[in-house]
Amino acid sequence: MRINLVLELMDTPGQLVKALEPVGSLGANLVTVIHKRDYKNEKGNVPVQLTIEGEHEDLKKLVTRFEELGFSIIEMDGVVLKEKITTIFHGHIVDQDLRDTMDRINDLEDVEIVAFDIKLNGEEKSTALINIEAGIGRKQSVFDRIAEIAEEKDLLVINEV
Amino acid sequence: MDECRVIIMGFGSVGQGVANALSMKKDLIKDKTGVNVKVVAAADSSSSAICQDGLDEKLLVETKKQKGKLSQYPEYGSDKNGEDILDAVEYDCLIEATPTNIVDAQPALSLTLKAFEQGKDVVTSNKGHLALKFREVTEAAEKAGVEFKYEASVGGSMPIINFTKDTLSSCEIKSIKGILNGTTNYILSRMTAEGSEYEVILKESQELGIAETDPTQDVEGIDAACKTVILANSLLGIDATYSDVKVEGISKINSHAIELAKKDDYLIKLIAEVSHDNLQVSPRLVRRGSSYDVSGTLNMATIKTDLADEVSVIGLGAGSLETASAMLTDLISILKTKY
Repeated sequence: MRINLVLELMDTPGQLVKALEPVGSLGANLVTVIHKRDYKNEKGNVPVQLTIEGEHEDLKKLVTRFEELGFSIIEMDGVVLKEKITTIFHGHIVDQDLRDTMDRINDLEDVEIVAFDIKLNGEEKSTALINIEAGIGRKQSVFDRIAEIAEEKDLLVINEV
Repeated sequence: MDECRVIIMGFGSVGQGVANALSMKKDLIKDKTGVNVKVVAAADSSSSAICQDGLDEKLLVETKKQKGKLSQYPEYGSDKNGEDILDAVEYDCLIEATPTNIVDAQPALSLTLKAFEQGKDVVTSNKGHLALKFREVTEAAEKAGVEFKYEASVGGSMPIINFTKDTLSSCEIKSIKGILNGTTNYILSRMTAEGSEYEVILKESQELGIAETDPTQDVEGIDAACKTVILANSLLGIDATYSDVKVEGISKINSHAIELAKKDDYLIKLIAEVSHDNLQVSPRLVRRGSSYDVSGTLNMATIKTDLADEVSVIGLGAGSLETASAMLTDLISILKTKY
């Protein structure tokens, strides 16, 4: 059988070789690799598309091995495994305990802030764009948490439509 | 030849648009429906012109523009106004184009209910009575056995209410999300294109006549929230009123927010969301190049359905003839079913 995966690699030398090594050693065959280093996602990582052929059991082992090696699988057979959420906060973001805001989002299960971009405006309100990655089905919990924080800290939230 | 006698109540931009559009399309309407439409009265806020044999649409607009009051209409000018007009003349359909009033819905509410009591059909562009008392008004129309049409109240010339009810009638409507206010879309589009601050663009929009001198209804999302209520009631069967909508306008949006969004390939738009879980007007991030990426004073809406998935419509959300086009469509549909 055949699977299609999208892995996320750090943009440092040797990552692709490290990712491909277990394919052969676990008895699977590489069919396609698409690796474009000039495209990076929000985290600054490089997504690589792999098509791999092998026995069902071997492929299962391979997926586990990727996870052990710390490669994040963001898509499997066309199914996205991580959802990306982008939101903007506007208000006294720093004064209202920015650390606490970040922690409370990161504390959610299978949710991680992957990028944070803030524009400060002297003593005035600041504006920040936040990129979050969440496991499938976790999106609503992120929106709920964001709404709760915004209410408490009087922040304007601009969520995706 | 059948005849439909209409009264135009409210003679501002929309009312005048209806008069102009009628004078342009009378023959076409006659061809399409076999009905001759005749304006028997038109009224502004303090006066009117009334003639059972019919008024000249062009002359009505000219009189209003040049003399300021319809009472100056040659021979048939009158000081009658308000509900009295409905008693002063025999008519079949009320074209109600008075300004929206979101406090007590007047004078639209009384005028509409009175027309229903008299057994007359009503076409409206007004949002006040629909946003505050949708159920009361539509039930009164049903009880009276008359037609009540309000396509022009949402999205101006953009077809949405009749389109969803008639053309998408095989589908269940799951949600509607869209840009329902042209003024705020214009302001946000220009902030995005020029990187300018909100206050600067608002001032220029006021000078251009795109934003009102008191822009509160538009920029604070009130206008879009009224339309949210109308769509919720009419298309999703949600028994909601204005106070059920969560509203946040665009006055807090600054160039920083727009710049940050742009960096990630997003735009900021004032989006109205109508679904069973959420009635909300708020600034949202939309993908550049998506169906929400319409600029200037355009309105748009994406209707999510069970069978057809997503269907989107785009059109000019305001304007004299544009809004009149929706009212005339409503009138024609009444003529087709009842005459």
